[in-house]
Amino acid sequence: MYDAPHKDKDVTQNDIKISARDVQVFYGDTQAIKDVDVEIDDKTVTAFIGPSGCGKSTFLRCLNRMNDTIDICRIEGKISIDGEDIYDPSIDPVQLRAKVGMVFQKPNPFPKSIYENVAYGPKIHGMARNKAELDEIVENALKRAALWNEAKDRLDSPGTGLSGGQQQRLCIARAVATEPEVLLMDEPCSALDPIATAQVEELIDELRQTYSVVIVTHSMQQAARVSQKTAFFHLGNLVEFGDTEQIFTNPKDERTESYITGRIG
Amino acid sequence: MTDTTPSEGRQPRASAGEAVRNSLARRNRKQMVLQGFGIAAIVFAITMLLILLTSIIGNGYHAFTQTHVELDVFIDPEEIPEEGLPRGDYDDVLAVAMGTHFPDVDLSDRIATRELTSILSNGAQYILRDKVVADPSLIGQTISVKVPVSDPYDQLHKGLVERDTEEQFRRLDNDAIDRFDRLDDLDLVSKPLNTGLITQADSRFPELAGLKGALVGSFWALLTCFVISFPLGIGAAIYLEEFAPKNRWSDLIEININNLAAVPSVVFGLLALAVFIGWFGLPRSAPFVGGLTLALMTMPTIIIATRAALKAVPPSIREAALGVGASKNQVVFQHVLPLAMPGILTGTIIGLAQALGETAPLLLIGMNAFITSAASSPFDSATALPTQIFIWADSPERGFVSRTSAAIMVLLMFLITMNAIAIYLRSKFERKW
Ligand SMILES: Nc1ncnc2c1ncn2[C@@H]1O[C@H](COP(=O)(O)OP(=O)(O)OP(=O)(O)O)[C@@H](O)[C@H]1O
Ligand SMILES: [Mg+2]
Repeated sequence: MYDAPHKDKDVTQNDIKISARDVQVFYGDTQAIKDVDVEIDDKTVTAFIGPSGCGKSTFLRCLNRMNDTIDICRIEGKISIDGEDIYDPSIDPVQLRAKVGMVFQKPNPFPKSIYENVAYGPKIHGMARNKAELDEIVENALKRAALWNEAKDRLDSPGTGLSGGQQQRLCIARAVATEPEVLLMDEPCSALDPIATAQVEELIDELRQTYSVVIVTHSMQQAARVSQKTAFFHLGNLVEFGDTEQIFTNPKDERTESYITGRIG
Repeated sequence: MTDTTPSEGRQPRASAGEAVRNSLARRNRKQMVLQGFGIAAIVFAITMLLILLTSIIGNGYHAFTQTHVELDVFIDPEEIPEEGLPRGDYDDVLAVAMGTHFPDVDLSDRIATRELTSILSNGAQYILRDKVVADPSLIGQTISVKVPVSDPYDQLHKGLVERDTEEQFRRLDNDAIDRFDRLDDLDLVSKPLNTGLITQADSRFPELAGLKGALVGSFWALLTCFVISFPLGIGAAIYLEEFAPKNRWSDLIEININNLAAVPSVVFGLLALAVFIGWFGLPRSAPFVGGLTLALMTMPTIIIATRAALKAVPPSIREAALGVGASKNQVVFQHVLPLAMPGILTGTIIGLAQALGETAPLLLIGMNAFITSAASSPFDSATALPTQIFIWADSPERGFVSRTSAAIMVLLMFLITMNAIAIYLRSKFERKW
C-alpha cells in the first residue's frame, strides 16, 4: 500500500510518509493524546497548531519515539513511516531517529564546539570518510541553517556560547547534517528574530524538496507561510486536519475557527 | 515605601502602606536576629578551629627541626676491620670522638662512657656505619659527621625542658646539662630541618622516628582503594542511574547503598578482619587489605556522588544526542559521563580524603603495628598516617608529643590539598550548559 517508489521526484504526486492510526498517549494516568489519526505526506510541510498544552509536542515526539525516554509515557495505536510500524519490536529506535531528525522546543546544543555539534551525527553514522568530507557536511549544514556567516570564524568555540537564536539555528544545522528523511521541528523559531525566522522558513521550504517536514508553531502567519497541510490540536484531540489554505480560509470546525481568528484578529 | 507620595490622598492605600512599613520593621528585626545568630555561630566555629590549629602547630613545629651535634670521627681500622664492615664497633669510634671534647672522662670507665655517649642518638652509630659501608675508603681517615642527639637533649636544646626545675624532677641531671652545654659552647650543636621526619620510618627513639612508613602505607592503601572503588563505583552508578529498570529492586538497592555510606567505619574494619584476613587469608597489617577495607567505605560515597552528577546532566542534552540517532551507550559515554566527570572526580577525591583520615578500620586489621621499614609492596606490613598518629600519641617519650602534632599537620596538609583540588575542579567545570 505504501510501497510506491519514494525516490520519485515528482512533487505533485505526494506519497504518504507517516501515517498514524488511533494514537493514544498517556503520561501515567492522564491522557495527553486522544484518538489521533493523521497522514503526513512526503515532500510536504505539515504544521501542528493549537493552544499551549494541547499535545503538539507530545504527538511530535511519538513520531521519532522520543517519548520512549519518559518512563511514565505510554503509547497506543499504530504509527508507521514508509509503511513500517515504528513501534514494532524489530525496529531499532536509534535507526529510526537517524531517519527522523528533530529540533527541540528549547535550544539544546551539546556543550562542545560548534563544529562538534554539527559533526556529531554524521560522525556516529559514518557519513564522512575523511575530515574534508566532514568539513563539507558541517559547512553545508550551517549554511542551510543560516548560521554559516556568523559561525564560520568561531567553529571551535563552544556552541553554548551562542545567543539563544543562534543556538536554535545550530540545533537545526545539527539535525539537517544527518540528512534525515523526516524533520520534526518543535517551535524552531520561537527564539529567533524576524530575519533569522525568514531564513529558517526559507530552509524549511528548501527541505520540502526532499524531505517531509513537520513543524509545531504558535504563529498562525508562520503556519500559513510555510506549510501545505495544517493540523489543529485541541485538548489532546486532532480537531481538524487538511490543506493549510482550507484550514485558514474555511475551517470546518468552530474550535479551529475561534482559535485562528482569536490569534489573527 | 516609595509609593507613599501618590497614594497620600486615598485613605485605604495609605493605611496599607502603614501596615507594610510596620511589618517591615518587624521582619527586618527578625532577620537581624537570625543574622546575628548565624554570625555568632561562625565566629564560634572559627575560634575553635583557630584554637585547634594553634595548639597543633604550636606543638608540632618543634618536630620539624632536630638537634644535631657535629663530631670529627676517626674511623679507626682497629675497631672497624675492612672485612665485616657492618659489624664494626662504631659505638666505640663515636665514644672516642666524643671523648676528645671531654678529656676529663675516662673512656675505660664503661658507665662514664655510657653517660657521655647518651647525648648521641642510638641511631648515630648506624648513620656512621652506613656512611662507611657506602664508602670503605673512609677507613683510617677522620671525617666530620653530624648526628642527631637523643630525645632528652633535643628537648633541652629546644627549650622544652625547664633548666631551673629541681634536678630530681628532670630527665637530665646537672652534669648531663653541663656536658651538653660544653658541646654547645664549642659551636658543635645545630638544629637543622628534620628531613628524617619524612625520610625515615618509625622508630622507638623519637629523634629517629619518621613518617616514611606511614606515608608509603597510606599511599598503597589509597591506591588500592582508588583502583578498586573508582571503576566499581562508577560502573555501579552508571548502571543504576542509566540502565537499571526502575522498580522495587532498584529502590531497595538504592536505599542500601545510602545506608552503607552511613555505616560506622569500625564495622567495616570488623568485616574486613573476618572476611579478608579470616577467610581469604590475606596478610595482616598489609596496606592492600587496608585499601580493600577503605574501598568498601569509599564505594558508596563514589556511587552516590556519581549518581548525583549523572542526574545533574540536563535531560535536554540526552534528548539532543538521542535526537541525532545516538545509541543509549553513546549518549551515556560520549555526552553524559564527560559532563558528569567533574562531579564524579570531586566526589571521588572527597571520598579518598575521608579514606585517608580513616583510623578505626585500619586499627582493626592491624595497621598499627610497630614497623621500622617502609613497605615495598602493598602486601608488606605497614602503618598509615592516621594509625601512625595513633601510635605516636600513645608513646610515652616527650619527643613523640611534638611528632604526633607534626604528623597531624602532615595529614591535614594532604587533606587540605585534596579538598582544594576538589573545590578547584568543581569551580573550574561549573555547569556549562
Ligand atoms: N513529561 C511529561 N510528564 C507528564 N506530563 C506531561 C509531560 N510532558 C507533557 N505532559 C503533559 O501533556 C500535555 C501536552 O503537553 P505538550 O508538551 O505536548 O503540549 P504542547 O502542545 O507542546 O504545548 P506548548 O505549546 O506549550 O509547547 C500537557 O498537559 C502536559 O502537562
Ligand atoms: Mg510544545
